[in-house]
Amino acid sequence: MGLLSLLRKLKRTEGEARILVLGLDNAGKTTVLKKLSDDDISTITPTQGFNIKSLNHDGFKLNVWDIGGQKAIRPYWRNYFEQTDAMVYVIDSADRKRIEETGLELADLLEEDKLSGVPVIVLANKQDLVTALSPDEVADGLNLYSIRDRPWQIQACSAKTGEGLQDGMEWLVKQVRPTKK
Amino acid sequence: MKLKKFLLRYYPPGVILLYEQQGQQYQRTLDLLDLRPGTDVEALVAQIMQSEPLLTENRRKHLRGLILKLVEKQKEQEQNRREFVLLRVLRAHVLPLTNCAFNKSGSMFITGSYDRTCKVWSTATGEELHTLEGHKNVVYAIAFNNPFGDKIVTGSFDKTCKLWDANTGALHYTLRGHQTEIVCVSFSPQSDLIATGSMENTAKLWDVEYGTERGTLYGHSAEIVSLHFNAQGNLMVTGSFDHDSRIWDTRTGTCVHRLQGHTGEVSSTQFNYGGDLCVSGSIDRTTRVWDVRMGKCLSVKQGHTDEVLDVCFDSAGTNFVSASADGTARVYSTRTGACLDTYVGHTGEVSKVSFNPQGTSVITASSDKTCRVWDVSSASSQGGGGGGGGEGGRCSQVLEGHTDEIFSCAFNYEGDHIITGSKDNTCRIWKASS
Repeated sequence: MGLLSLLRKLKRTEGEARILVLGLDNAGKTTVLKKLSDDDISTITPTQGFNIKSLNHDGFKLNVWDIGGQKAIRPYWRNYFEQTDAMVYVIDSADRKRIEETGLELADLLEEDKLSGVPVIVLANKQDLVTALSPDEVADGLNLYSIRDRPWQIQACSAKTGEGLQDGMEWLVKQVRPTKK
Repeated sequence: MKLKKFLLRYYPPGVILLYEQQGQQYQRTLDLLDLRPGTDVEALVAQIMQSEPLLTENRRKHLRGLILKLVEKQKEQEQNRREFVLLRVLRAHVLPLTNCAFNKSGSMFITGSYDRTCKVWSTATGEELHTLEGHKNVVYAIAFNNPFGDKIVTGSFDKTCKLWDANTGALHYTLRGHQTEIVCVSFSPQSDLIATGSMENTAKLWDVEYGTERGTLYGHSAEIVSLHFNAQGNLMVTGSFDHDSRIWDTRTGTCVHRLQGHTGEVSSTQFNYGGDLCVSGSIDRTTRVWDVRMGKCLSVKQGHTDEVLDVCFDSAGTNFVSASADGTARVYSTRTGACLDTYVGHTGEVSKVSFNPQGTSVITASSDKTCRVWDVSSASSQGGGGGGGGEGGRCSQVLEGHTDEIFSCAFNYEGDHIITGSKDNTCRIWKASS
């Protein structure tokens, strides 16, 4: 990839959208990304920095930035806000203890100037686990119904099985794709 | 005019004459860029004595001694191709590194990072000397004011550039004015100017002493991702995503030439030491060599099968090298334009390339998580039949260990240390075994 391609991904290009994937550590952000690009998901380690993938969705190019979510590096999320077209916020639905923490992080993000009006899709991930909260419970826990300043959506999914991911992507693309004439 | 002192410069080879005229100190440089281990020293001395009025007959012996020293240094390099061993792994940053650079003596180096800091390191001990904190976003471009090495400039995605004291880590100035991310920076060789290039299509010149803006270079219609001063510091070359490179007069800030020809974004540009040529690499898969005075393209190199991501000359300007997304690098003779070497071996894109100061080795950094060191075939050995054709190119070493792709690499001035900066948040120091 190299530094030059980072610069090329930084600029806004017609016919492409920049998607930011955020969420707490171990939410499954990298797994979501890898599953979407049909990569092997058996050996994923905590992301120390970021991963970038270009996804093609029905002729439309998505530059997806998956950003590490460990507490120590969350203050650096801002590095990546510039030129964001849509945000994917990934939740470990089985991690009941940290629903409040992830809700607070999301609330902070929604108040960021540079992300104002940016559509957000919340992925209630890990639905394959029996202890997972339902999407409704997640939406409640995160107080999503109070969001009025942007399009938003909650989507149940399992990055492991891939279930729900395509539906989520379709909603996302609808938000960022320029309307056809 | 009275000659006071000789100074020796190893890379590129040269002798600097310090002299006095009406009570003022001046210096003049005799560039010996074509010096080779086989150079006829007597003939060279005679030629210099004849053309340089500062050199009176009684200086002949001294001059001969200096040139012999330079030749010896060159022979040393030819004979000593040493293995690099890992000296240290520095858990340098909490996020990926961007660029890295040595000061001239190689005693210190700096690393920039997504964690918004630039760190200053001791090469010998691996000790962190200073953390330069204050930027509010990625520190992308960094540089020492070599050969002086007492200042550091950092360019950030926060749209500012900062000037620091290299020895104390204190902030001198914050340079504000760009509207978007700063992605390339450079000091003029005289260290009186800083140039910055940004994603908003402009470059700016700043006064080092006062921290003020000297001017904005308008002309490019897309991001400026590369800039370089010539050795005299009177010209600058910029490379842009608008497919052009431009040459600028740094005194007036005016565009001297628009170098048109590439059909894709320009990724990298550089002057040769003499300043009569510059080279540009492009996403269009070609490398172009330009005549600086005329602003004309002299040659187009088409060997790569994918984007050219980096180009540079060796310190004397004898050869230049291009690195490509096709996983190879290619060395060309500046004089003949012939491809001397093709370096095949990486299993991923090669995004950074540079020569050691001696011009005998090339280092390449790749997305395959390794750096490779390569032997440069000398043009003379190419001439002797047999070799040539540019097919060969021996990999003398693979530097393995990084766990993610490598974004940057650099040789120190002596050519006996290498630093590599990676997306894995670490920096590695490699030292030539003695």
